[in-house]
Amino acid sequence: MFRHNALRYTVLVLLASGALFQAFTAEYFGLEILTEILILAILVLALDIVAGFGGMVSLCHGALMGVGAYAYALFSTKAGVAPPVAMGGAVAVTGAAAWVIGAIGSRSHGIYFIMATLAFGQMAYSYVFQSPVFGGDDGLGGISRLDLSLVGIDLTDSRSFALFCLAILGAVYGASVLILRSGLGRSLTGVMHNEQRMRALGLTVWRVKADVFGLSGMIAGLAGTLAAQHIMYISPGLLSWTVSGEALVVVILGGLGTLVGPLVGAVAFVVLKHEVSALTSYWHLVVGVILIGVVMSRANGIFGWVESHSGAWIERRLSDATRDPEPEEAVSDA
Amino acid sequence: MLETRNLDKSFGAVHVTRDVSLKLERGERRVILGPNGAGKTTLFNQLVGELTPDSGSVHLAGEDVTALPVANRARRGLSRSYQKNTLFDGLTVEENLGLAAAVHTDNATRLWHDSLTRPEVREIVDDVAEQVNLMPYLHATVSEVSYGVRRQLEVGVALATRPLVLLMDEPTSGVGPEMSKGFHELLNNLPRDLTMLIIEHDMDLAFDVADTITVLNYGEVVFDGLPEAARGSKLLKEIYLGSWEDA
Ligand SMILES: Nc1ncnc2c1ncn2[C@@H]1O[C@H](COP(=O)(O)OP(=O)(O)O)[C@@H](O)[C@H]1O
Ligand SMILES: [Mg+2]
Repeated sequence: MFRHNALRYTVLVLLASGALFQAFTAEYFGLEILTEILILAILVLALDIVAGFGGMVSLCHGALMGVGAYAYALFSTKAGVAPPVAMGGAVAVTGAAAWVIGAIGSRSHGIYFIMATLAFGQMAYSYVFQSPVFGGDDGLGGISRLDLSLVGIDLTDSRSFALFCLAILGAVYGASVLILRSGLGRSLTGVMHNEQRMRALGLTVWRVKADVFGLSGMIAGLAGTLAAQHIMYISPGLLSWTVSGEALVVVILGGLGTLVGPLVGAVAFVVLKHEVSALTSYWHLVVGVILIGVVMSRANGIFGWVESHSGAWIERRLSDATRDPEPEEAVSDA
Repeated sequence: MLETRNLDKSFGAVHVTRDVSLKLERGERRVILGPNGAGKTTLFNQLVGELTPDSGSVHLAGEDVTALPVANRARRGLSRSYQKNTLFDGLTVEENLGLAAAVHTDNATRLWHDSLTRPEVREIVDDVAEQVNLMPYLHATVSEVSYGVRRQLEVGVALATRPLVLLMDEPTSGVGPEMSKGFHELLNNLPRDLTMLIIEHDMDLAFDVADTITVLNYGEVVFDGLPEAARGSKLLKEIYLGSWEDA
């Protein structure tokens, strides 16, 4: 079950200060990268909730983000709905779609669940790709950002938009913790550990899975509305399964089932992508090698590795500090 | 309280439950005896709905529940523990009990509050921990406690749904005689109105807790009666000498 500890708080504070520092000091390009990280971070939190705490490894979270982005674009451009309402509507639509996927997928496990989610994602992708309403291959442009001029914020400014995304990420992180600590979230973790027993205790397992998948979908949809506002143009590529795959890579790279780990993973992934792709076009290869290294190390991602090693280090320090020489002599006598 | 009528089940050519009719009154403590492979666990699986019988019916508190799924029967007050530990391994003893108590108190699907900190959940967790001697281990994870403690938790989790009928599948299997004895004392301290059906391997220990005894052999009820009668039964002795010796 999800717990905070000193290390997690420390990393959170470091990440937040780093993001704030970047948001206030960076120039245009730096702000673009920061915003990319923040939106990816929201998406991977959504994925970690279901994959890391419910064992529901999803390959449709990219597509869900795409559904959120397209819904926002359609509501705000074609239906002429005010952007805040369009955002809310897009989040609701994505949540409903995810709830249905979660309900249908709730009976399958492991690889079958992954395949089911992949199939749903591909269905959404090909539908958007072929439908004229969604602009087909060309995508949709002219998407506007939220108007916060009433409170004196101009979101067309990159810095303000990055800070806006950071605020939303903070809220999403808080909401994720609350979800995982709620009765629903704890039952989900129970199901991941032992589905048979939860059922024997009287839990309607499929409902719990569907509800949490729906909530996770709402968060993914929210990330989508931000992605649409960020680039102000969207194309079907957003729903491609490779986006889902990348999100999963980020979660695993950072540390599955830790919430904080995926945030670290999002930073590492985007920074690596930009740094390495400036040097070579084989940046996927480099990310691949790092991922293999992380998986081979048997640690739970970068953050999981730090957590287990710092835990061992603190324990060693504690036992050093409290060691009593007498029993050791007794042992050497024996 | 719990009743089966002409329950029958085969796995292919193996007839594991043969026309089993049982009736437990409220508060009755019945022990099921029988050699390995007699079909005791398979009977439990049919009672709770993890297996569907080929024919016959299961009744809980006067209602036919044969067609109801597992979770539904559980919410009507039927709870079980398993012969092989079926716990939430990465979680603490407290969280294990809390998950069960949350389902019973209708907190397991709530989004607006933490199930583990709800007073009604805390009350059950503390109560059950007290009942099955888990107080010292509340904050230890399942993997950190001994096998014997896990056996206690196995029953504790089943108890934390505050059942009307508690089914226990060899609750003391694999633990030493000391602990086994202690466990039976502990069962004797549970509320008198709790109906219990207990599969037990050891005949002497079974007599400690049983109001009534059912003996299964090759899926068939071969004895159903009071412990005193069971002690004197010739048939029971035959089964006991025949196959229990080597078990
Ligand atoms: N799922 C199953 N498929 C096939 N045979 C089974 C299955 N479950 C149990 N059996 C068989 O049913 C018989 C009774 O098993 P079980 O109920 O576990 O016995 P007991 O609990 O009395 O030791 C055994 O012969 C066992 O091999
Ligand atoms: Mg058995």
